[in-house]
Amino acid sequence: MSIVPKETVEVIAQSIGISHFSTDAALALAPDVEYRIREIMQEAIKCMRHSRRTTLTTDDVDEALKLRNVEPVYGFASGGPLRFRRAIGYRDLFYLDDKDVEFKEVIEAPLPRAPLDTSIVCHWLAIEGVQPVIPENAPVQGLKMGYLAGYNFLWQNSYTGGLECNVVCGRLAIAAPSNGTNNEQKDGLPVEIKLPVKHILSRELQLYFDKITELAVSRSDSVLFKQALVSLATDSGLHPLVPYFTYFVADEVSRGLNNYSLLFALMRVVWNLLQNPHIQIEPYLHQLMPSVVTCLVAKRLGNRLADNHWELRDFTAKLVAAICKRYGHVYNTLQTRLTKTLLNALLDPKRALTQHYGAVQGLAALGPNVVRLLLLPNLGPYLSLLEPEMLLEKQKNEVKRHEAWRVYGALLQAAGQCIYDRLKIFPPLSSLPACSVWKTNGIVATLSNKRKTSMDLEEQPPLKKIATDGPVDAVSTSSMPTPMEEDAAAATPLDNSDADHPSSSSGQIPPDSGSESRSKRGKGDSQAQKLSAILPQIWKDDLNSGKLLVSLFELFGEGILSFIPAPEMSLFL
Amino acid sequence: MDELQVVEFVATYLKKKGFSEAENALQAEIQRNKSSNNTNPIDILNDPELSKFFRTFSESEDGPARYQDEYSKLRSWTYSSLDLYKHELLHVLYPVFIHCFMDLVAKGHIQEARTFFNNFREDHEMMHLRDLQKLEGVLSPSHLEEMEFAHSLRHSKVNIKICQVLYLFLFTSLHQNTYIVKKSNHCQSFYQYSYELLLQYLHKTQSTKMLGIINERINFQVSPGQPSSISDDAEIVTLIGSNQDAANQINQKEVHWGLLEDSLENRLEKTGLISDSEKAEGENKEAEIDENKKRPVEGGKQGASIKKLKKDKAINATAKTSRLEANTVSTAPRVKPDLALPVMPTEVEQSILEDLRNRVHLSSAALPSVSFYTFINTHNGLNCASISQDGSLVAGGFSDSSLKVWDMAKLGQQAVSSGLQGENDTTPREDIIGPNGRKRSYTLYQGHSGPVYSASFSPLGDFILSSSADTTIRLWSTKLNANLVCYKGHNYPVWDVQFNPQGHYFASSSHDRTARIWSMDRIQPLRIMAGHLSDVDCVRWHINCNYIATGSSDKTVRLWDVSSGECVRIFIGHRSMILSLAMSPDGRYMASGDEDGTIMMWDLASGRCVTPLMGHTSCVWTLAYSCEGSLLASGSADCTVKLWDVTTSTKVLKTEEKSGTNRLRSLKTLPTKSTPVYSLQFSRRNLLFAAGALSKTS
Repeated sequence: MSIVPKETVEVIAQSIGISHFSTDAALALAPDVEYRIREIMQEAIKCMRHSRRTTLTTDDVDEALKLRNVEPVYGFASGGPLRFRRAIGYRDLFYLDDKDVEFKEVIEAPLPRAPLDTSIVCHWLAIEGVQPVIPENAPVQGLKMGYLAGYNFLWQNSYTGGLECNVVCGRLAIAAPSNGTNNEQKDGLPVEIKLPVKHILSRELQLYFDKITELAVSRSDSVLFKQALVSLATDSGLHPLVPYFTYFVADEVSRGLNNYSLLFALMRVVWNLLQNPHIQIEPYLHQLMPSVVTCLVAKRLGNRLADNHWELRDFTAKLVAAICKRYGHVYNTLQTRLTKTLLNALLDPKRALTQHYGAVQGLAALGPNVVRLLLLPNLGPYLSLLEPEMLLEKQKNEVKRHEAWRVYGALLQAAGQCIYDRLKIFPPLSSLPACSVWKTNGIVATLSNKRKTSMDLEEQPPLKKIATDGPVDAVSTSSMPTPMEEDAAAATPLDNSDADHPSSSSGQIPPDSGSESRSKRGKGDSQAQKLSAILPQIWKDDLNSGKLLVSLFELFGEGILSFIPAPEMSLFL
Repeated sequence: MDELQVVEFVATYLKKKGFSEAENALQAEIQRNKSSNNTNPIDILNDPELSKFFRTFSESEDGPARYQDEYSKLRSWTYSSLDLYKHELLHVLYPVFIHCFMDLVAKGHIQEARTFFNNFREDHEMMHLRDLQKLEGVLSPSHLEEMEFAHSLRHSKVNIKICQVLYLFLFTSLHQNTYIVKKSNHCQSFYQYSYELLLQYLHKTQSTKMLGIINERINFQVSPGQPSSISDDAEIVTLIGSNQDAANQINQKEVHWGLLEDSLENRLEKTGLISDSEKAEGENKEAEIDENKKRPVEGGKQGASIKKLKKDKAINATAKTSRLEANTVSTAPRVKPDLALPVMPTEVEQSILEDLRNRVHLSSAALPSVSFYTFINTHNGLNCASISQDGSLVAGGFSDSSLKVWDMAKLGQQAVSSGLQGENDTTPREDIIGPNGRKRSYTLYQGHSGPVYSASFSPLGDFILSSSADTTIRLWSTKLNANLVCYKGHNYPVWDVQFNPQGHYFASSSHDRTARIWSMDRIQPLRIMAGHLSDVDCVRWHINCNYIATGSSDKTVRLWDVSSGECVRIFIGHRSMILSLAMSPDGRYMASGDEDGTIMMWDLASGRCVTPLMGHTSCVWTLAYSCEGSLLASGSADCTVKLWDVTTSTKVLKTEEKSGTNRLRSLKTLPTKSTPVYSLQFSRRNLLFAAGALSKTS
């Protein structure tokens, strides 16, 4: 009835040469064998504990046997864990894998390296309760695998062969404040450190990674991919895969700029990884950002006309903004570097309009403040460059013109968002009660005789605008003195080269819209006067936003009006 | 039913059956009842005669299946009982379970015993895993006798506190499942009830086995009122080992936990003076001591230490004139040393004084700096590590019988010199890790013939003690780099050895279940402390040198009086073997860490657990109090050093009755890089040293 079956006892009896062994004796012995084994194991565990270990070794069993005055079992060194193999055909039968060793091999084998001698390394585990981030210390959090991966990489680099690597520990120059009894003794010394360096990816994770990448590359429009994205955004165990995904994205983006659907899928992968609360993606951002920005401002994304690369750019702009919002405070250089890149792309007239579009979208997504500070000052000169591209007469290439209109739309939206945001935080107007709005409206209607004064007032804004715009222009022109002229020069040859495309079929839409807007502008002129009549009111409270609005109005015409918040809109009307 | 009638009925029944003893008991009981109505009713059930009667009765219809049947009935009844009573009833279940099992074994129903054990084992695994593992191997009646644990279980009773209502419930259910305690009147006198019980029993013998076991093995301490809260579990958990009553008795003894009147800090003041005044003022000193004793124990610890530091300076400046010890404000009462303690040389005193003056004050807000010594390339051979008081020496005991001592100061120098003399010296690296053994980075001490399990530095760092599996303790001199003495006395491996805080004396603990006190100049032990029921795994000196604490595999910690060799405290509460101990510097508390990762903090005076500290997930190898006792550091096999705030706990203790639920706080967990922490040591300046061997995490 014991764990040891009587057959075992019989086998042992046979092996030591007892031929006549009754079953009863075996039955009686079996429980005792179990008891003795347990007894010895109990002692062995004690020995293990006193050897400060948590794994039982053969040495411990030997010690326990010695304690009991029993001859130890020889031949089992506890160099490493014993490898048991399952006997084929039996469920619970295991045996030790004991290979035959050729004498010749043993003799001829080179002497193994002598094991390294024990030594001591010293480091600060904590300084006044705070753990310094040094390689000797465990990574601060289990979650922050990024550090770990970094260290692993570091150790792998210094991995010189075998299990031991020689790491010369720098002298620990950190002195504990106020209790340095033995600071002078804390010096490190060249030592051999054995470190666990393997970064093992479980098989499941490998499969998962393969599956996701395959989906992203080949079947990004399937339902399965959508589910995969959901999994990416929610799964908690994906952290080990982050470096691989980063590499994958960077790799695929650099290779597959012509493949629109792939790019979009990749961006969605990044987006969803970003959404995952269990992943700390920040250590990999520096690898991810270039490919993301590429998808935003690349000259060509996708090789077919049908590819809606605008959508991709919009999406990527959102992605970029999300990254900046989440990690901007961790990497304070992140946003400045990004905006610099985008602004350069925008202000370089040699760049394609698609790139400009991406840059504008990217800047716009970063928030109205960025737009106001970076985009608006450059708006005037830029629009003057853009204007000819939009006109039917000057730009014959329909695709180009479409692009120009796209850029114009994006600019309009960005500026509009910005002004909308400004006006929204604008207390007196937004809190203006509806009745008073109507009243003022009435006043505006009746005060037609006062229009002259309002006209006078209208005179002011342009003056002021010029005053303010002057320096801006100067700055912008000084910062990029040549591009303007160059653009004008460069635009035409480019146009000519690209103008070969036939633009007869759909060429009518842009001019139509253009004329429409012009007619709108004509209609709006009368309103514009009213509008500018009220603008001084705004200045009283906020000169800046007023100026802003006026300058925008100057630049965009009434297109901007749709971004004015409702109460004001009613005010204007 | 009329009571008298019943008695008569019972009596006649017993007579008829020939249970004369039981009859006598019954008669005696009736007599007693008549004499006084307030007799403790439990006596009836605890009466050995009566329980024997129960036993004989139950044995009359013997059947191993009944155990299983009845136990499962009891179990299901327990589990379906009200939540209010459940946890108390569950405590009853465990002893019943193990005794059922042992009874089955004793009667030779091995197979039934095994199935019974396996069926119900899971219920108790959480609380009593280690015991179950031991018991599991018992497979024949002879094992029961041989195995000490089982033997002691079978020959002692288990004390279980149980509230009265439950007691009624329990017995009711044992007898008749349909029986309803009418109104369950608390005031119902118990003996009266027991008659009913007996009556029921005679009528219906449903659960005779269980009743038999409960009567024979369990000693109920019936308390009136509602079931107690779970906080009282501690005593119930360790129901084996020594007799509970004996333990309680022992714990009644007085413990003078106060600091030594000559303790480190005080001593510095005094010895400085005494050496100056050439001990002519011995009587004076005595008088002072008395004064100190009389002085009321007041004042916060912080204030005291600051004042001491200030005073240190003052004394240093004007040695003899400022004889102001009488003013010493101390938090703890002072006691005289029972041992003749060695005198420290004055230079050493000066340096210690300097350290004390520069001590960093630690608290929950000011955590210590931790310097970690990592042993590398140990090849799984490092058994223990020890750090000298000032952290300059680190010793490691290895399973290859060697003891290696690193001098951290020299280590640094060598590294520097090898770097500087690189051009001149052809093989600078060989100097440090040379194969010839001459110029190793450490000093190798060879002499043991078995794994070295423990090492301990003397307070001044000039001696090391090491204990080994070869049953010996060896004393080494770090100055001479040689073995001085080999102490033979233990009969089995010596698990732990520990120098007295003042030096000269040391304590050892061994597999032979004894702890021994030695002095350096004698090769025979001065005292042998016997009493633990299993290996004595660790030993620590009390700060006043009059006591030692030992932790054992029998899951108890004991405190022994060094002068008398008597056990003065038994601390029960751990659930597995005790691996580490630490004494608080104020002498009032003790911390013990066990195999499961639980740390318990004990109040020496009361012998009760202040609070368990849960947090570690594996063996707690080492514990250390900071020098002013506000922090406790623990090092564990789970590769962390944890810092605990123990000042809050002392506050809790003071206001224990008011808000007993306030637990100790874990302040900080410092994970190491796959390095189990073997040893911790606070320097006198409160710098924490830790040591451990880097282990591969394959």
